[in-house]
Amino acid sequence: MNLKSLSWRLLCAVLAAGAVLGVDLAQRPLAPVAAVAAWPAVPVSLRVDHLVPMGRGAIPMPPDAPAAHASTLLAMPAGHPAALTVFWFSGERESGPKVQIAASQWDRATQQWAPARFVVNRHVLGAALGFGVRRLGNPVAWMDGSGHIHLFVVATGWGGWAASRILHLRQSSDGNGLQELAFAPVRVLPLSWLWNTSHLVRNAPLPLADGGMVLPVHFELGIKYPLALRFDSRGAFLGMARISRRTYALQPTLLAKTPTEWLALMRDERHGGKVIAARTPDGGRSWNDLPDLALVNPDSAVGGMALAPGQMLLAHNSSPASRAWLDLSGSADGVAWTPLQALEHGATDDDEFSYPAMAWADGSVWLSYTVDRHRLAWQRFTAAAPVGVKP
Amino acid sequence: MNMDRMAWLAQWVSVESPVLPSPGAMQWWLYLGWSVVLAWGFAAQGQAWPQRVRRVGAALVALWCWVPGPYSPAYWLGMAFQAPSISSVVLCAWLLRESLLVSRVAPPLPVPTDRSALALSMLGVILGWALLLDTLALLPVSLYAWGFSPIAPALVLLVALVPWVLGYRHRSLGPKAWVAPIVVLLFVALRLPTGNVWAAMLDPWLWVLLHGYVVRAAFRRAIRLKSAL
Repeated sequence: MNLKSLSWRLLCAVLAAGAVLGVDLAQRPLAPVAAVAAWPAVPVSLRVDHLVPMGRGAIPMPPDAPAAHASTLLAMPAGHPAALTVFWFSGERESGPKVQIAASQWDRATQQWAPARFVVNRHVLGAALGFGVRRLGNPVAWMDGSGHIHLFVVATGWGGWAASRILHLRQSSDGNGLQELAFAPVRVLPLSWLWNTSHLVRNAPLPLADGGMVLPVHFELGIKYPLALRFDSRGAFLGMARISRRTYALQPTLLAKTPTEWLALMRDERHGGKVIAARTPDGGRSWNDLPDLALVNPDSAVGGMALAPGQMLLAHNSSPASRAWLDLSGSADGVAWTPLQALEHGATDDDEFSYPAMAWADGSVWLSYTVDRHRLAWQRFTAAAPVGVKP
Repeated sequence: MNMDRMAWLAQWVSVESPVLPSPGAMQWWLYLGWSVVLAWGFAAQGQAWPQRVRRVGAALVALWCWVPGPYSPAYWLGMAFQAPSISSVVLCAWLLRESLLVSRVAPPLPVPTDRSALALSMLGVILGWALLLDTLALLPVSLYAWGFSPIAPALVLLVALVPWVLGYRHRSLGPKAWVAPIVVLLFVALRLPTGNVWAAMLDPWLWVLLHGYVVRAAFRRAIRLKSAL
């Protein structure tokens, strides 16, 4: 072999590249099958326009934490003492150095929220990661196939929210009762070349039939665009896809119309905006922008959920220039929405009811949301019995 | 083309089964990477100092990075910039070695006379711009996500070996030309720092430095051409 010949060197280079490809492929599992959405186990007769209020109240706050925001609800397994776990960020003020991730659980026996406690602290995270975390925010919870809770939180480096990264945490405690609940970091999600900065998470993931999920996130350095991240049933990151070509759409919430046709509804940062929509026909592999919905959006987060095919719910701020009104609307196709419930109608534009989260547990739709950035409230809706049938 | 071959090709370009490094390996790389980069930075700044002082100082700076918690510079650099790329660490290790072994005063950055290294540097500059545009959603395709595919490291290696292939008439290549192939091999073995091949090849700080390297080479070439006229 004469390595001073062009052809021999070319052959060696191609063989080396082939060997690298072979070694790389040997390290990987086969690419996952197409993503197929799953819906919660709701009664076949359930219709979103038959939901009636069943309860409401305040979620207990941790002591000495006057600020609270961005809650997320997680339905717990059937045999668990708690029906729901709620996570949010709380501290002296939004983006303050003392902000931690707090949690509470709805006890099935007492039908009450347990006293809140902090479950994630940025100093503890920094020690575990080996690098500092400046601020914490926006937790989103998910339960994997083995019953472990995963938290995705916004963790900032140097800078404000635009310098955020999404930190993936996994339950490190044996059980997931509130008093023993603890988390350890898995990794900062690898989402961009630019030091992984400016990706944020806000809304709940879309569960998949294979036990995995699709997590909606967004980028917000200068421009804002939404992404969908796929995870397997163990919580391993499987990839990312851009949801929209628009540069002012953020905080997507995912709704499944069919197993593979999903909608992403998004917050519009423009003045006088409407709820932004995009659609995927192939389980998240490709996305197309849709015309804006008729629903106004005063640059505020929306929270949606598909209970079954054709049974979709969306909690959204319905006043054009403030977050004083929070409504619950229903839809069969995700495009045309009908108001179902007035969740909160503040007396003045200074009132704020925002960042709604939704979950299905114990035969009910549960909602949580921020009140004036100081506390959280919850509401519960259940299906009214059809006429002539005893509930 | 039959379905089996199509399936193989789809597997090669798939971005849906990334291999990511373990959390332990990422933390280890954070300390190692910044210790090498900062040790080179110290040695490069202290060119006028006695060699013994440079060696001891660089070793102390490297050890400082391994102090756990907020007393380590890696803790704060990691908060701002995560971990350096494999390219940065390999380049800094090589420059650190050069700086500590030679007794003469050496420039902190190599003189840009090696054409193959210059060509790869220009490719790095272009790649960085493409990745930045991709981050800002200004490209029609997601270039960063493509860095998770199995075919990406193989193609990067092919490109990295082009100087060696085209240099068949010369006796040997300079060591700088081997940095990129070594980085690809290390990436395939370790998946550091993030599991994405672009993050292994280029980080934003290296990209900024490559601009300086390329501009300096262009400036020198312009001066040479002017003096030849």
